[in-house]
Amino acid sequence: MTTAVSRPPLVRGSDRVIAGVCAGLARHLGWPLRMVRIGMVVAALAGGAGVAFYAWLWIMVPTADESAKRNARQPASPIAPAVSAPYVAPYAGPATADASPAAAAAAATAGAATAPAGAVPADSWRNRVPGMRYGKEILLGAGLLLAAGILIARLLGVDVPLGTLIPVAAILGGAAIAWMQLDETRRAGLVDKTKADQAGGWARLAAGLALVVAGVLVMVSGSGSWEQTWLALLSSVAVLGGVALVLLPWGLKFWRDLEAERAGRVRATERAEIAAHLHDSVLQTLALIQRRAGSETDVVRLARAQERELRGWLYRDPGKDAGQLSEGINAAAAEVEDSLGHAVEVVTVGDCAMSERHEALVQAAREAMLNAARHGGGAVSVYLEVTDGAAEVFVKDRGPGFDPDALPADRLGVRESIVGRMNRHGGTAIINSSQAGTEVRLRLPLPTGASAGAATNNNSNGEVRL
Amino acid sequence: MSITEAGSPVPGIRVVIVDDHAIFRSGLKADLDPNIVVAGEAGTVEEAVAVIAAVRPDVVLLDVHLPGGLGGGGREVLAGSAPVLGSTRFLALSVSDAAEDVVSVIRAGARGYVTKTISGAEISDAVRRVAGGDAVFSPRLAGFVLDAFGTAPADIADDELDRLSARELEVMRLIARGYSYKEVAKELFISIKTVETHVSAVLRKLQLSSRHELTRWAAERRLL
Repeated sequence: MTTAVSRPPLVRGSDRVIAGVCAGLARHLGWPLRMVRIGMVVAALAGGAGVAFYAWLWIMVPTADESAKRNARQPASPIAPAVSAPYVAPYAGPATADASPAAAAAAATAGAATAPAGAVPADSWRNRVPGMRYGKEILLGAGLLLAAGILIARLLGVDVPLGTLIPVAAILGGAAIAWMQLDETRRAGLVDKTKADQAGGWARLAAGLALVVAGVLVMVSGSGSWEQTWLALLSSVAVLGGVALVLLPWGLKFWRDLEAERAGRVRATERAEIAAHLHDSVLQTLALIQRRAGSETDVVRLARAQERELRGWLYRDPGKDAGQLSEGINAAAAEVEDSLGHAVEVVTVGDCAMSERHEALVQAAREAMLNAARHGGGAVSVYLEVTDGAAEVFVKDRGPGFDPDALPADRLGVRESIVGRMNRHGGTAIINSSQAGTEVRLRLPLPTGASAGAATNNNSNGEVRL
Repeated sequence: MSITEAGSPVPGIRVVIVDDHAIFRSGLKADLDPNIVVAGEAGTVEEAVAVIAAVRPDVVLLDVHLPGGLGGGGREVLAGSAPVLGSTRFLALSVSDAAEDVVSVIRAGARGYVTKTISGAEISDAVRRVAGGDAVFSPRLAGFVLDAFGTAPADIADDELDRLSARELEVMRLIARGYSYKEVAKELFISIKTVETHVSAVLRKLQLSSRHELTRWAAERRLL
């Protein structure tokens, strides 16, 4: 319901007059700095409220450095990304919608502050975490303000029924603390099943409980008689303890069942995913093979294609960057296999990021593979080796061989697509043909300072991704 | 090594096929050369260890992925057959090209590694080669070796086991490029025997190198 407004964390800025409070506030709320400063001064003149507010922020709000340190020390959760990738996914989407009520309220009152362009996805969780953390302080501040208001009202002679107000405040405070817990556990359920902050959670629950119980007791007993209250408090704590003792096993069992059910659901989802994949690929291919059983080449082609696809799915390396040279060569080999129904075995050693020149190398290699599959016999072997100095591709077949010099001039395949292309991009192509087979050797030396080039290339990639 | 008759070219090479798929076993049996005698078959780790101990074949065609035992598959069979490892050679067979599988089974003592898609003639050839005490390197295995050991030749300062010599690198490169031993010999102007010596030396390094990167590399490299 609340739209996710990603705003910079509330930290004290560096362009300070006194302590950088106004600058930080302005940045956080997206208001003009001058306005915030004037507002603060006006508030300070109004009975010192601004001074108190300023001092409070000064104490509670960390500087940018401190905030960064704190965030670095407390990562969200070590296993959080594994458990719920969507939560830490880029662009704090729906996840922020259920941040603590206080933060949401703050966001609402602040009006439509636009998300600054500098808010990169990686920072979004960091923005959120301080917001939640300050929710507590905001509540505390509101309580203090209320107390101050009551005190002032009393000073001014207004009769405030303290006897009822204090217990009500206690109940409200306790309930708020306990309910904040609910909100947090819901988030925690999403983020982290290990309940990292368990001790804090229990303390909060206990504090909330104590406050509410005390408030209710004071209200019920109707008087400020301490010994009576103490007695009631003791007995009620005893009752609560007994109830907890009885309900604890049931609660634990319930919790375990929930955990087991959750784990079972994860497994079921995985299973469903695998089943869906197998259905889409392997079963379809098997059906096709049964229908084409008469044609050997078709069967082999289907089997090869399916094998390749399944291998890719089973052994794919999620850590591997896309757009590597080896991928290009593998894709070209797969294409040749598919179109000609001829097995192409690829072996790669080393790898590097794809560049325009590597594209030419892949195209030349593809042409060589096509020739080998068309004219050669037996399996086509492709070997890619990337070293610091060069990228080399060898394409070997066991066909009858041919004389490269005796090729007719109109055969563009070898002359243009392989040799010419390699030469244009500063590489070499050697064709070695004999009775026992043909081998095309492609070599593309890397330009000097290639490592620096690769580094800048990586950088620009990174920027694009952000 | 070749104290027994395995070293000399005896007409019948006795093999045991260890694979959990009966269809594959019968297909392989039909594909093998007539002078290769299938002396036994097994489908699980326990069966394999028992059959190998009883039959004492020249060569075991061992699937890397096997049911039974402690879940270790082919590696466990190799570990369980340690007493006969001197006279029986193991040739690993797998549908998996994963570096982890290949390297671990070689390091457990197999003399070679071939994928299940190779032809009957090729596998017969590999069996004969392994029976003769040589190592069988497929292009892919050679690629793994080059990737794991690096493509730079050994420095004198390096531990001998951790690097390949320049000649060994050349041999591995040619095998990775799809050359047969014969073609490698022709290309490098050396005898086939010398090629085999180089390959065996590489196999020994692969098995014995204490280079911790090797295992880590294989574990990390989940891609074929």
